[in-house]
Amino acid sequence: MGEFAAVSQEEFSRLCDFLYRRTGMVFTEAKRYYVERRVNDRMGATGAGSFASYFARLRSDIDGEVEQFINAFTVNETYFYREDHQLRCLTADLLARRTAAKRRSEAVRIWSVPCSTGEEPYSIAMWMLENWAQVDAWDVEIVGSDIDTQVLETARQGYYGRRALMRLTPELIGKYFEPAGDERWRILQDLRDSVRFSSANVMEAAETSPHGRFDVIFCRNMLIYFDDASRRLAAENLYESLLPGGYICLGHTESMSRISPLFEVCRYPDAIVYQRPAERARG
Amino acid sequence: MAERTPRRILIIDDAGLVRRYYREALERCGYAVDEALNGLEALEKLLAEPADLLIVDVNMPRMDGLTFLRTLRRREGAIAAIPAVVVSTEAGPQDFDAARSAGANFYMVKPVPQDVLIEYVALLCGPAA
Repeated sequence: MGEFAAVSQEEFSRLCDFLYRRTGMVFTEAKRYYVERRVNDRMGATGAGSFASYFARLRSDIDGEVEQFINAFTVNETYFYREDHQLRCLTADLLARRTAAKRRSEAVRIWSVPCSTGEEPYSIAMWMLENWAQVDAWDVEIVGSDIDTQVLETARQGYYGRRALMRLTPELIGKYFEPAGDERWRILQDLRDSVRFSSANVMEAAETSPHGRFDVIFCRNMLIYFDDASRRLAAENLYESLLPGGYICLGHTESMSRISPLFEVCRYPDAIVYQRPAERARG
Repeated sequence: MAERTPRRILIIDDAGLVRRYYREALERCGYAVDEALNGLEALEKLLAEPADLLIVDVNMPRMDGLTFLRTLRRREGAIAAIPAVVVSTEAGPQDFDAARSAGANFYMVKPVPQDVLIEYVALLCGPAA
Protein backbone atom coordinates (compact mmCIF):
# COMPACT_ATOMS: atom_id res chain seq x y z
CA MET A 1 0.00 0.00 0.00
CA GLY A 2 2.34 2.74 -1.23
CA GLU A 3 -0.17 5.52 -0.55
CA PHE A 4 0.02 5.01 3.20
CA ALA A 5 2.71 5.73 5.71
CA ALA A 6 4.18 2.42 6.81
CA VAL A 7 2.68 1.11 10.04
CA SER A 8 4.42 -1.90 11.52
CA GLN A 9 2.57 -4.83 13.05
CA GLU A 10 3.61 -3.73 16.51
CA GLU A 11 2.51 -0.14 15.93
CA PHE A 12 -0.80 -1.34 14.57
CA SER A 13 -1.53 -3.41 17.66
CA ARG A 14 -0.50 -0.56 19.99
CA LEU A 15 -2.91 1.71 18.14
CA CYS A 16 -5.74 -0.83 18.32
CA ASP A 17 -5.07 -1.27 22.01
CA PHE A 18 -5.27 2.52 22.47
CA LEU A 19 -8.59 2.66 20.58
CA TYR A 20 -10.01 -0.22 22.58
CA ARG A 21 -9.13 1.34 25.93
CA ARG A 22 -10.64 4.68 24.93
CA THR A 23 -13.78 3.55 23.11
CA GLY A 24 -14.34 -0.20 23.58
CA MET A 25 -14.18 -0.66 19.80
CA VAL A 26 -12.22 -3.68 18.61
CA PHE A 27 -10.19 -3.59 15.40
CA THR A 28 -8.33 -6.65 14.16
CA GLU A 29 -5.88 -7.22 11.34
CA ALA A 30 -8.89 -7.65 9.02
CA LYS A 31 -9.74 -3.96 9.54
CA ARG A 32 -6.19 -2.83 8.93
CA TYR A 33 -7.02 -0.89 5.77
CA TYR A 34 -9.86 0.93 7.53
CA VAL A 35 -7.62 1.86 10.46
CA GLU A 36 -4.69 2.93 8.31
CA ARG A 37 -6.86 5.12 6.14
CA ARG A 38 -8.07 7.07 9.17
CA VAL A 39 -4.62 7.30 10.74
CA ASN A 40 -3.31 8.69 7.47
CA ASP A 41 -6.11 11.26 7.38
CA ARG A 42 -5.19 12.39 10.88
CA MET A 43 -1.46 12.41 10.08
CA GLY A 44 -2.21 14.64 7.10
CA ALA A 45 -4.40 16.94 9.21
CA THR A 46 -1.80 17.30 11.95
CA GLY A 47 1.24 17.42 9.69
CA ALA A 48 2.87 14.44 11.42
CA GLY A 49 5.78 13.13 9.37
CA SER A 50 5.71 9.56 10.62
CA PHE A 51 3.43 7.19 12.46
CA ALA A 52 5.71 7.33 15.50
CA SER A 53 5.46 11.11 15.75
CA TYR A 54 1.69 10.98 15.23
CA PHE A 55 1.23 8.33 17.90
CA ALA A 56 3.31 10.37 20.35
CA ARG A 57 1.10 13.37 19.60
CA LEU A 58 -2.02 11.25 20.12
CA ARG A 59 -0.85 9.84 23.44
CA SER A 60 -0.02 13.31 24.75
CA ASP A 61 -3.39 14.56 23.46
CA ILE A 62 -1.76 17.59 21.82
CA ASP A 63 -4.43 20.05 20.59
CA GLY A 64 -7.16 17.63 21.65
CA GLU A 65 -6.02 14.98 19.18
CA VAL A 66 -7.64 12.12 21.13
CA GLU A 67 -11.11 13.52 20.46
CA GLN A 68 -10.30 14.16 16.79
CA PHE A 69 -8.92 10.65 16.49
CA ILE A 70 -12.00 9.03 18.06
CA ASN A 71 -14.22 11.17 15.85
CA ALA A 72 -12.44 9.75 12.79
CA PHE A 73 -13.13 6.19 13.94
CA THR A 74 -16.75 6.32 14.91
CA VAL A 75 -19.00 5.07 12.17
CA ASN A 76 -21.36 7.81 11.16
CA GLU A 77 -23.02 6.37 8.08
CA THR A 78 -26.76 6.47 8.58
CA TYR A 79 -30.00 7.73 7.03
CA PHE A 80 -33.56 8.69 7.90
CA TYR A 81 -36.12 5.93 8.64
CA ARG A 82 -33.39 3.27 8.85
CA GLU A 83 -34.81 -0.04 10.16
CA ASP A 84 -38.24 1.49 10.45
CA HIS A 85 -39.86 -1.73 11.71
CA GLN A 86 -38.66 -0.74 15.19
CA LEU A 87 -40.17 2.73 14.78
CA ARG A 88 -43.43 1.02 13.84
CA CYS A 89 -43.15 -1.06 16.98
CA LEU A 90 -42.57 2.12 19.01
CA THR A 91 -45.80 3.82 17.95
CA ALA A 92 -47.90 0.66 17.58
CA ASP A 93 -47.13 -0.77 20.99
CA LEU A 94 -44.23 0.41 23.15
CA LEU A 95 -45.49 3.95 23.74
CA ALA A 96 -48.96 2.75 24.72
CA ARG A 97 -47.41 0.39 27.26
CA ARG A 98 -45.11 3.07 28.65
CA THR A 99 -47.80 5.77 28.94
CA ALA A 100 -50.42 3.44 30.48
CA ALA A 101 -48.88 3.80 33.94
CA LYS A 102 -47.69 7.40 33.61
CA ARG A 103 -49.20 10.59 34.91
CA ARG A 104 -49.74 13.30 32.27
CA SER A 105 -47.15 15.46 33.99
CA GLU A 106 -44.44 12.83 33.43
CA ALA A 107 -42.41 13.06 30.24
CA VAL A 108 -42.04 10.27 27.71
CA ARG A 109 -38.26 9.99 27.38
CA ILE A 110 -36.53 8.49 24.34
CA TRP A 111 -32.76 8.16 23.89
CA SER A 112 -30.97 7.70 20.60
CA VAL A 113 -27.38 6.60 21.28
CA PRO A 114 -25.14 6.73 19.33
CA CYS A 115 -27.08 9.29 17.30
CA SER A 116 -24.35 10.27 14.83
CA THR A 117 -25.43 13.29 12.76
CA GLY A 118 -29.02 13.19 14.04
CA GLU A 119 -30.84 11.10 11.44
CA GLU A 120 -32.17 8.65 14.03
CA PRO A 121 -33.50 11.03 16.71
CA TYR A 122 -35.07 13.25 14.02
CA SER A 123 -36.58 10.14 12.41
CA ILE A 124 -38.12 9.25 15.77
CA ALA A 125 -39.63 12.75 16.01
CA MET A 126 -40.99 12.58 12.43
CA TRP A 127 -42.31 9.07 12.89
CA MET A 128 -44.15 10.06 16.08
CA LEU A 129 -45.76 13.04 14.31
CA GLU A 130 -46.87 10.79 11.48
CA ASN A 131 -47.96 7.73 13.43
CA TRP A 132 -48.77 8.45 17.07
CA ALA A 133 -52.20 9.99 17.69
CA GLN A 134 -51.15 10.95 21.25
CA VAL A 135 -48.23 13.07 20.07
CA ASP A 136 -49.67 16.36 21.37
CA ALA A 137 -50.89 14.85 24.63
CA TRP A 138 -47.54 13.95 26.20
CA ASP A 139 -44.42 15.85 27.03
CA VAL A 140 -42.02 14.02 24.70
CA GLU A 141 -38.31 14.35 25.38
CA ILE A 142 -36.00 13.00 22.68
CA VAL A 143 -32.28 13.01 23.47
CA GLY A 144 -29.56 12.22 20.93
CA SER A 145 -26.10 11.34 22.25
CA ASP A 146 -22.80 10.37 20.71
CA ILE A 147 -19.18 10.03 21.78
CA ASP A 148 -18.21 12.12 18.75
CA THR A 149 -18.69 15.82 19.51
CA GLN A 150 -18.32 16.92 15.89
CA VAL A 151 -21.30 14.88 14.67
CA LEU A 152 -23.40 16.37 17.47
CA GLU A 153 -22.80 19.86 16.16
CA THR A 154 -23.74 18.70 12.66
CA ALA A 155 -26.88 17.13 14.13
CA ARG A 156 -27.89 20.38 15.82
CA GLN A 157 -27.51 22.24 12.52
CA GLY A 158 -29.75 19.68 10.79
CA TYR A 159 -28.56 19.87 7.17
CA TYR A 160 -28.72 16.69 5.08
CA GLY A 161 -27.87 15.52 1.58
CA ARG A 162 -29.90 13.33 -0.73
CA ARG A 163 -28.25 10.16 0.54
CA ALA A 164 -29.51 10.66 4.11
CA LEU A 165 -33.04 11.21 2.79
CA MET A 166 -33.07 8.26 0.37
CA ARG A 167 -35.74 6.31 2.25
CA LEU A 168 -38.12 9.25 2.67
CA THR A 169 -40.99 9.93 0.28
CA PRO A 170 -41.06 13.35 -1.44
CA GLU A 171 -44.16 14.06 0.67
CA LEU A 172 -42.24 13.52 3.94
CA ILE A 173 -39.30 15.60 2.70
CA GLY A 174 -41.70 18.42 1.76
CA LYS A 175 -43.40 18.22 5.14
CA TYR A 176 -40.39 18.20 7.46
CA PHE A 177 -37.50 19.77 5.54
CA GLU A 178 -36.80 23.09 3.86
CA PRO A 179 -34.60 23.20 0.74
CA ALA A 180 -31.15 24.58 1.56
CA GLY A 181 -29.74 24.69 -1.99
CA ASP A 182 -27.21 22.49 -3.78
CA GLU A 183 -28.93 19.15 -3.08
CA ARG A 184 -29.17 19.99 0.63
CA TRP A 185 -32.18 20.10 2.92
CA ARG A 186 -32.57 21.38 6.47
CA ILE A 187 -34.89 19.75 8.98
CA LEU A 188 -37.47 22.27 10.23
CA GLN A 189 -36.86 24.37 13.33
CA ASP A 190 -39.72 22.72 15.26
CA LEU A 191 -38.03 19.34 14.89
CA ARG A 192 -34.63 20.76 15.74
CA ASP A 193 -36.26 22.15 18.89
CA SER A 194 -37.70 18.70 19.67
CA VAL A 195 -34.37 16.88 20.04
CA ARG A 196 -31.71 17.69 22.62
CA PHE A 197 -28.16 16.64 21.71
CA SER A 198 -25.48 15.84 24.27
CA SER A 199 -22.26 13.88 24.34
CA ALA A 200 -22.06 10.49 26.06
CA ASN A 201 -19.85 7.43 25.98
CA VAL A 202 -21.98 4.37 26.83
CA MET A 203 -18.88 2.71 28.25
CA GLU A 204 -18.77 5.26 31.06
CA ALA A 205 -21.51 5.10 33.68
CA ALA A 206 -20.43 8.57 34.83
CA GLU A 207 -21.40 9.85 31.36
CA THR A 208 -24.66 7.95 30.92
CA SER A 209 -26.21 8.44 34.37
CA PRO A 210 -26.55 12.26 34.18
CA HIS A 211 -28.96 11.76 31.27
CA GLY A 212 -31.49 10.21 33.64
CA ARG A 213 -33.67 7.20 32.84
CA PHE A 214 -35.54 6.60 29.61
CA ASP A 215 -38.70 4.83 28.46
CA VAL A 216 -37.15 3.66 25.20
CA ILE A 217 -33.51 3.54 24.09
CA PHE A 218 -32.45 3.13 20.48
CA CYS A 219 -28.89 1.79 20.46
CA ARG A 220 -28.47 0.37 17.00
CA ASN A 221 -25.37 -0.96 15.28
CA MET A 222 -22.97 0.11 18.00
CA LEU A 223 -22.42 -3.08 20.02
CA ILE A 224 -21.26 -4.90 16.88
CA TYR A 225 -18.03 -2.88 17.11
CA PHE A 226 -17.35 -3.99 20.69
CA ASP A 227 -15.84 -7.15 22.11
CA ASP A 228 -17.67 -9.27 24.70
CA ALA A 229 -16.34 -7.46 27.78
CA SER A 230 -17.18 -4.01 26.38
CA ARG A 231 -20.60 -5.18 25.25
CA ARG A 232 -21.45 -6.40 28.73
CA LEU A 233 -20.33 -3.14 30.29
CA ALA A 234 -22.32 -1.10 27.74
CA ALA A 235 -25.38 -3.32 28.31
CA GLU A 236 -25.18 -2.75 32.06
CA ASN A 237 -24.93 1.01 31.60
CA LEU A 238 -27.87 0.96 29.20
CA TYR A 239 -29.88 -1.15 31.64
CA GLU A 240 -29.29 1.47 34.33
CA SER A 241 -30.38 4.16 31.86
CA LEU A 242 -33.79 2.51 31.39
CA LEU A 243 -36.80 3.06 33.60
CA PRO A 244 -38.13 -0.22 35.00
CA GLY A 245 -40.30 -1.66 32.22
CA GLY A 246 -38.46 0.44 29.62
CA TYR A 247 -37.38 -0.92 26.25
CA ILE A 248 -34.19 -1.02 24.21
CA CYS A 249 -34.01 -1.47 20.44
CA LEU A 250 -30.79 -2.84 18.93
CA GLY A 251 -29.74 -3.22 15.30
CA HIS A 252 -31.29 -6.17 13.50
CA THR A 253 -28.03 -8.16 13.53
CA GLU A 254 -27.49 -7.64 17.25
CA SER A 255 -28.85 -9.76 20.07
CA MET A 256 -28.92 -8.71 23.71
CA SER A 257 -29.56 -12.30 24.76
CA ARG A 258 -26.00 -13.18 23.81
CA ILE A 259 -24.65 -10.19 25.73
CA SER A 260 -26.50 -9.88 29.00
CA PRO A 261 -29.15 -11.84 30.96
CA LEU A 262 -30.57 -8.63 32.46
CA PHE A 263 -33.22 -8.06 29.79
CA GLU A 264 -36.42 -9.81 28.79
CA VAL A 265 -36.98 -10.51 25.10
CA CYS A 266 -40.15 -9.09 23.51
CA ARG A 267 -40.90 -10.56 20.10
CA TYR A 268 -42.98 -8.63 17.58
CA PRO A 269 -43.95 -9.83 14.09
CA ASP A 270 -41.08 -7.91 12.46
CA ALA A 271 -38.92 -6.72 15.35
CA ILE A 272 -37.29 -7.87 18.55
CA VAL A 273 -36.94 -5.44 21.44
CA TYR A 274 -35.51 -5.97 24.91
CA GLN A 275 -37.13 -4.87 28.13
CA ARG A 276 -35.81 -4.00 31.55
CA PRO A 277 -38.18 -6.02 33.75
CA ALA A 278 -40.78 -3.91 35.55
CA GLU A 279 -40.32 -3.73 39.30
CA ARG A 280 -42.64 -6.11 41.06
CA ALA A 281 -45.27 -4.55 43.28
CA ARG A 282 -44.55 -5.22 46.92
CA GLY A 283 -46.94 -7.78 48.35
CA MET B 1 -60.80 38.67 -8.30
CA ALA B 2 -58.34 39.86 -5.69
CA GLU B 3 -56.92 37.16 -3.44
CA ARG B 4 -57.68 37.56 0.23
CA THR B 5 -54.88 37.48 2.76
CA PRO B 6 -54.96 34.14 4.54
CA ARG B 7 -56.16 34.12 8.14
CA ARG B 8 -53.28 34.24 10.55
CA ILE B 9 -53.01 31.86 13.48
CA LEU B 10 -50.50 32.04 16.32
CA ILE B 11 -49.61 28.73 18.03
CA ILE B 12 -48.27 29.22 21.55
CA ASP B 13 -46.66 26.03 22.87
CA ASP B 14 -43.23 25.19 24.25
CA ALA B 15 -43.11 21.72 22.61
CA GLY B 16 -41.70 21.66 19.08
CA LEU B 17 -43.50 18.43 18.20
CA VAL B 18 -46.86 19.88 19.21
CA ARG B 19 -46.29 23.11 17.28
CA ARG B 20 -45.36 21.13 14.19
CA TYR B 21 -48.36 18.79 14.57
CA TYR B 22 -50.88 21.65 14.69
CA ARG B 23 -49.03 23.88 12.23
CA GLU B 24 -48.80 21.22 9.53
CA ALA B 25 -52.59 20.69 9.59
CA LEU B 26 -53.33 24.42 9.56
CA GLU B 27 -50.92 25.22 6.73
CA ARG B 28 -52.30 22.34 4.69
CA CYS B 29 -55.66 24.11 4.88
CA GLY B 30 -54.18 27.43 3.79
CA TYR B 31 -53.87 29.27 7.10
CA ALA B 32 -50.80 31.43 7.73
CA VAL B 33 -49.17 30.21 10.92
CA ASP B 34 -46.70 31.74 13.33
CA GLU B 35 -45.34 30.28 16.55
CA ALA B 36 -44.39 31.43 20.02
CA LEU B 37 -42.69 29.29 22.65
CA ASN B 38 -44.38 30.89 25.67
CA GLY B 39 -46.80 33.64 26.70
CA LEU B 40 -44.21 36.40 26.82
CA GLU B 41 -42.98 35.69 23.31
CA ALA B 42 -46.61 35.56 22.15
CA LEU B 43 -47.32 39.03 23.58
CA GLU B 44 -44.26 40.43 21.81
CA LYS B 45 -45.30 38.87 18.52
CA LEU B 46 -48.90 40.07 18.78
CA LEU B 47 -47.81 43.64 19.47
CA ALA B 48 -45.73 43.53 16.28
CA GLU B 49 -48.37 41.78 14.19
CA PRO B 50 -51.89 40.79 15.33
CA ALA B 51 -53.44 37.38 14.59
CA ASP B 52 -56.95 36.15 13.78
CA LEU B 53 -56.81 33.25 16.24
CA LEU B 54 -54.64 31.96 19.06
CA ILE B 55 -53.99 28.32 19.96
CA VAL B 56 -52.70 28.34 23.52
CA ASP B 57 -51.03 25.61 25.59
CA VAL B 58 -51.38 25.90 29.37
CA ASN B 59 -48.08 24.77 30.93
CA MET B 60 -45.18 26.76 29.52
CA PRO B 61 -42.01 28.30 30.99
CA ARG B 62 -41.60 32.09 31.45
CA MET B 63 -45.33 32.79 31.07
CA ASP B 64 -48.01 30.09 31.14
CA GLY B 65 -51.04 30.11 28.85
CA LEU B 66 -53.66 31.34 31.32
CA THR B 67 -51.47 34.20 32.62
CA PHE B 68 -50.87 35.13 29.00
CA LEU B 69 -54.61 35.22 28.26
CA ARG B 70 -55.42 37.30 31.34
CA THR B 71 -52.66 39.75 30.37
CA LEU B 72 -53.87 39.92 26.78
CA ARG B 73 -57.53 40.47 27.69
CA ARG B 74 -56.63 43.43 29.93
CA ARG B 75 -54.86 45.26 27.12
CA GLU B 76 -56.29 48.17 25.12
CA GLY B 77 -57.20 47.79 21.48
CA ALA B 78 -58.06 45.06 19.03
CA ILE B 79 -55.53 42.43 20.14
CA ALA B 80 -57.39 42.05 23.47
CA ALA B 81 -60.32 40.50 21.59
CA ILE B 82 -58.49 37.91 19.45
CA PRO B 83 -60.32 34.59 19.88
CA ALA B 84 -58.31 31.94 21.73
CA VAL B 85 -58.49 28.14 21.87
CA VAL B 86 -56.88 26.67 24.96
CA VAL B 87 -55.51 23.14 24.47
CA SER B 88 -54.68 21.16 27.57
CA THR B 89 -54.16 17.62 28.82
CA GLU B 90 -56.33 18.45 31.86
CA ALA B 91 -59.98 17.49 31.47
CA GLY B 92 -61.46 18.51 34.83
CA PRO B 93 -64.33 21.03 35.16
CA GLN B 94 -62.10 23.25 37.32
CA ASP B 95 -59.52 23.40 34.50
CA PHE B 96 -62.22 24.34 32.02
CA ASP B 97 -63.52 27.08 34.35
CA ALA B 98 -60.02 28.45 34.97
CA ALA B 99 -59.40 28.74 31.20
CA ARG B 100 -62.77 30.37 30.60
CA SER B 101 -62.31 32.95 33.32
CA ALA B 102 -58.80 33.70 31.97
CA GLY B 103 -60.41 34.59 28.64
CA ALA B 104 -60.47 31.39 26.55
CA ASN B 105 -63.20 31.19 23.91
CA PHE B 106 -62.83 27.47 23.53
CA TYR B 107 -61.24 24.60 25.45
CA MET B 108 -59.93 21.42 23.88
CA VAL B 109 -58.52 18.40 25.67
CA LYS B 110 -55.39 16.83 24.16
CA PRO B 111 -54.93 14.71 22.15
CA VAL B 112 -56.59 16.89 19.53
CA PRO B 113 -56.77 15.09 16.14
CA GLN B 114 -55.72 17.36 13.27
CA ASP B 115 -59.13 17.21 11.54
CA VAL B 116 -60.91 18.19 14.77
CA LEU B 117 -58.53 21.10 15.24
CA ILE B 118 -59.25 22.34 11.72
CA GLU B 119 -62.99 22.03 12.25
CA TYR B 120 -62.96 24.20 15.37
CA VAL B 121 -60.48 26.72 13.98
CA ALA B 122 -62.78 27.22 10.99
CA LEU B 123 -65.75 27.66 13.34
CA LEU B 124 -63.98 30.38 15.35
CA CYS B 125 -62.24 32.37 12.65
CA GLY B 126 -63.66 31.15 9.34
CA PRO B 127 -61.94 29.27 6.54
CA ALA B 128 -58.31 30.00 5.71
CA ALA B 129 -58.95 32.72 3.10
